[in-house]
Amino acid sequence: MLVDKLLTHSAERRPTGIALVQGEARVSYGELCDKAIRMASALGELGIRRGERVAIALENSIEYLIAHFGVLMSGGVSVPIYHNTPAASFAKIAADCAPSAVIARPKFRGDIIKFGEEPAQARYIIAGPVADTEKESGCVSFEECLRSSGVPNTGVRSTDDLATIIYTSGTTGDPKGVMLSHRNLSANTRSIVKYLELTASDSVMVVLPFYYSYGNSVLLSHVMQGATLVADNRFMYPNKVLEAIAAERVTGFAGVPSTFAILCHRSSFKNMSFPALRYMTQAGGAMPHEMAFELLKVVPHAKIYIMYGQTEASARLSYLPPQDIYRKSGSVGTAIPGVTLEVLDENGHSVKPGETGEIVASGDNIMTGYWGKPAETEAVLRSGKLHTGDMATVDEDGYIYIMSRKTEMIKSGAHRIAPREIEEVLLKSSSVFEAAVVGRPDAILGEAICAFVVLKDGATATAQELLRLCHDNLPPYKMPKEIFFIKFLPKTENMKVKKADLKKILQTSDEVEK
Amino acid sequence: MREEVREFIFKNFLFDDSGDSLDDNDSFLEKGIIDSTGMLELVAFLEEKFGVRIEDEELVPENLDSVARLVDFITRKKVPS
Repeated sequence: MLVDKLLTHSAERRPTGIALVQGEARVSYGELCDKAIRMASALGELGIRRGERVAIALENSIEYLIAHFGVLMSGGVSVPIYHNTPAASFAKIAADCAPSAVIARPKFRGDIIKFGEEPAQARYIIAGPVADTEKESGCVSFEECLRSSGVPNTGVRSTDDLATIIYTSGTTGDPKGVMLSHRNLSANTRSIVKYLELTASDSVMVVLPFYYSYGNSVLLSHVMQGATLVADNRFMYPNKVLEAIAAERVTGFAGVPSTFAILCHRSSFKNMSFPALRYMTQAGGAMPHEMAFELLKVVPHAKIYIMYGQTEASARLSYLPPQDIYRKSGSVGTAIPGVTLEVLDENGHSVKPGETGEIVASGDNIMTGYWGKPAETEAVLRSGKLHTGDMATVDEDGYIYIMSRKTEMIKSGAHRIAPREIEEVLLKSSSVFEAAVVGRPDAILGEAICAFVVLKDGATATAQELLRLCHDNLPPYKMPKEIFFIKFLPKTENMKVKKADLKKILQTSDEVEK
Repeated sequence: MREEVREFIFKNFLFDDSGDSLDDNDSFLEKGIIDSTGMLELVAFLEEKFGVRIEDEELVPENLDSVARLVDFITRKKVPS
């Protein structure tokens, strides 16, 4: 199934059903679909053709939904990115996938121009005021696009066409574009709808960004059923979100471990009641199982779904059935419908219960590869199977328990972050000789990013200067929390940095100068 | 107090020395400069620096969403009732 058909089918079945609530604003499925078709038509008029990429740099909003489905209906490939991505970080993505258009707020375009990082030949669709001078330079207003009345002319499309590219942190230092086809996303969405038992009467509070794989899966699974998305971008004030959950009688909530840590430890969650809440889903890293039990004390009637996945799997790979939460605590459950999970040893044989191996996944949800990166694709996709790099064990009943990661990837605030990406930014400083980045256990984030820096002989730099450099080049979730200056990096005989030693140093951080 | 709050925000979230990029009445939410974990860091700083205890129910934009609101909130907290 084509992903945009999820919207058109819901609009046909429930034209007056509410697709999105945001504050006082509400948009029905009929209205959303109509506007998405108009956006698709406008994109066609702008010359966007099947398979061309359109970057979407918008926060969770009605405009995001119109843009996302509009791009898909036009036959284009949506490339959702963080709406405040720094210009330098966006430039890498733009250079990689060469978007034909960018849909963004005025500030985003302003920042990109200010830093001289405009992608060549991209048309801009600006959700907000557009000055006459900007129109002369090729900018189009979002509102103007919604006045287009043509019919999108996409030719014959296939479910194997690319639908979305989601960027993840790359081990080579540059972000990697995960290519997801219509088939990948619709298969995964169908599975999620099935095990969460979603219906049109559900409504979900969305605090996760739609540009993030998990947020995208929440979006698609609820649109498929004609359910309601309640978007609230104020999670820095969790009580406001909790009030909205109660006021809108929301039936579902999706979060990552840090979301639930904040709810349990720094909000009024425990003092409120949520009788309408039917399900809570958690993915994006290991959440202490005690926290799931804490949630159940407040919402004993709700089903808690512990889940596991990767962007490379469209989002979801496994879930722990809610009834098993005590019996199998610590497990990420078993494969979701339509997915096969194996835990294999180094020789490719299934591990015995208690032994550790790598999780290998197959199914229609597995990505088609990384955009323009055949070597990186081959490293993880072999014989159509995704080698996740996540090391796990299984019990006698086939339940999976994740133990560690095969790679150096840091998991911070549910994002998988390659240390190399941050190290390369630090090395841009003319004062830095070497840099190594590791994760330190953190109660809220899972891991906090810490950077070790060796300065060149005679050079000086402050932590603040280096943090500023990172801020100019990285999105906030990739920012180091701490920078340590060190005389030399511990290395193996092969000159590989011994990151385990750096983690030990963090436990006794008196040895280093912050 | 205002200067100390501004310094913390500039040092930890804006990484900007100029001081021009944030007005005392600018909303952190609208400017998008602090995320949910950043807010926890800010609250921890306020508690430690100014010796106040900020209750969970006080973590609302009315108290915290600009430099001016923060300073006003902490000032009120420090006055014994």
